[in-house]
Amino acid sequence: MDRTTFRRLGLGLALIWLAFCLFPLWWVLVTAFKPPSAVSGGATYIPFVDFQPTWQAFRDAFSGVRGDFAGPIFSSLAVSLVSTALAVFLGAMAAYALVRFEFRIRLLAGLVFGVLSIGGFALLNQGAGLSVPQSLGLVMLIALPVAIWLNGRNLPGPVLGNDDVTFWFVSQRMFPPIVSAFALFLLYAEMNKAGVRLLDSFPGLVAAYTAFGLPFAVWLMRDFFANVPVEVEEAAMVDNIGRMRIFFQIVLPMSKPGLVATSMIVLAFIWNEFLFALLLTSSKWQTLPILMAGQNSSRGDEWWAISVAALISIIPMIAVAIFLGRMMRSGFLAGSIK
Amino acid sequence: MSQTPQPDRVKYAFIFPAFLLVLTITLFPLIYALVVSFQTIRIVPPVPPKFVGFDNYAEILASARFWGSIQVTAVIVFVSVALQYVLGFALALTLHHNVPGASLYRVSFLLPMFLAPVSVALIARMLFHPVLGPVNEFFTLFGLENLPFLTSPSFAIATLITVEIWQWTPFVVLLMLAGLQGLPSEVFEAARVDNISAWRRFRDLTFPMLLPLSVAVVFIRVIEGFKIIDTVFVLTGGGPGTSTETLTLFAYNEGFKKFNIGMTSALSFLFLIVVILFGTLYLAAAQRMIRRYQ
Repeated sequence: MDRTTFRRLGLGLALIWLAFCLFPLWWVLVTAFKPPSAVSGGATYIPFVDFQPTWQAFRDAFSGVRGDFAGPIFSSLAVSLVSTALAVFLGAMAAYALVRFEFRIRLLAGLVFGVLSIGGFALLNQGAGLSVPQSLGLVMLIALPVAIWLNGRNLPGPVLGNDDVTFWFVSQRMFPPIVSAFALFLLYAEMNKAGVRLLDSFPGLVAAYTAFGLPFAVWLMRDFFANVPVEVEEAAMVDNIGRMRIFFQIVLPMSKPGLVATSMIVLAFIWNEFLFALLLTSSKWQTLPILMAGQNSSRGDEWWAISVAALISIIPMIAVAIFLGRMMRSGFLAGSIK
Repeated sequence: MSQTPQPDRVKYAFIFPAFLLVLTITLFPLIYALVVSFQTIRIVPPVPPKFVGFDNYAEILASARFWGSIQVTAVIVFVSVALQYVLGFALALTLHHNVPGASLYRVSFLLPMFLAPVSVALIARMLFHPVLGPVNEFFTLFGLENLPFLTSPSFAIATLITVEIWQWTPFVVLLMLAGLQGLPSEVFEAARVDNISAWRRFRDLTFPMLLPLSVAVVFIRVIEGFKIIDTVFVLTGGGPGTSTETLTLFAYNEGFKKFNIGMTSALSFLFLIVVILFGTLYLAAAQRMIRRYQ
């Protein structure tokens, strides 16, 4: 008895959820084609029946009378594509190292690094009166070699392994982004003062978003690499081919599906990101989400214009989701939940 | 994981670029922010930095707005994550048992989590318009006309929770489905042969076996949920008053409307402490629960 009951319940739930899921998307799609009269008279749903669709809103958006759309679209595209490529590339390298090599980090060396950095910065910046970027750079140049040298000594205390290093990367995603976004804003502002333009600039945004996407890339790519058979690499190693060449010529081509899937996910996160863009851009390099947030106050009642804007930001991601949905069927992603 | 321990120096060449990037972009700015959080610095009007010790922290801890924003964030996060988990798990179960048309659902169910929260909030603003929106039309059917979806505190929070559920239930579906597909099918076959009811199969087999994954999924959602700003920024702007102001939005307002960066730095570190405290407590509680089930 219960088998069919549960099946019906499940089907009902799935159908209700499908409607709930798709209705807002339907709404934004049809609203983009509405003339003003179809909005101000109350809710309308079906084109040609409830109202006569028009391309006016699209024409307005692309002719530029409604403010600049092309600029934010371009900066969103440029920033998210470049940072995704960088994040996945660097993340893949790090993930590969975490799968194939063994890392031993002494906790004590890490602690020394932290104390040296914070204390050194406070000393140099407040005490010696060096500028913020200068003292941060100097502290890094001192603390990093010291920590690496200490790590090679025989120090007491716990030793951290590969899983801890992975966790360190992933934990960057765990703490509230406002903490690092605001800190980064302060630092970029200081750099601007020093003459290096990072606020509202392409390199500044790309650096921020690469660091933002990196944890995902490391996390996802690690599982893909773990499933690449070692034998091929070992055979190559016997032939005395360098590790770098093995990685670029054998491992990367073999994990292409993983790279593509990871890039899609990272791209979606960066494309949609709001807080970093809100803090780090002001006019020239504004991304789409910032433009969208502005739509709200600038044209609250012009729903057709808002819908066109929303569609522009949504459509690429719909393509991404459909693509990933296809991949999901083939059972990929099952590995990344371990 | 297969590791071949070898004294290979090349491993540093692989990991250092990523390591250095995280260090310079994410961690080193924090040092500066930490120092700033003990000072009074204003950008507008510019005031020379002055060391004030823990004054910033004390002032925030004494402000009602801070506790209010914690409460708002907690309510939104916990209610929406609880509902996301229940709904998402149920949907994953139905997808797993291949209801008719499963492949259509799979893509549509995935869709919302890939859309920019800002755009989702813009769409929600239209849908929840108190006069012109379709949600109003729906409630009018029940005789409830022109409800203040975005302008009364409790309605606004309910609306935000609804939007969160719409957008993030797919994440739960995605991971729980992957978990379900990874379960050993022999156990379930055996249970079916023994004529154990579907409900008991779920309660005694599926649920306990997926408990570690559930703990992780809820953890990720809660941590991510705490960051909420974009939806609120567009949908209510924190209003009416500050009744829907979340922690991140509060920090942003503090930093960019009052330009008090010492205060904002202190606030963001307090936020960090809240998240770490919560995470530790949650993981400890979850571990006890998992142990009880085994």
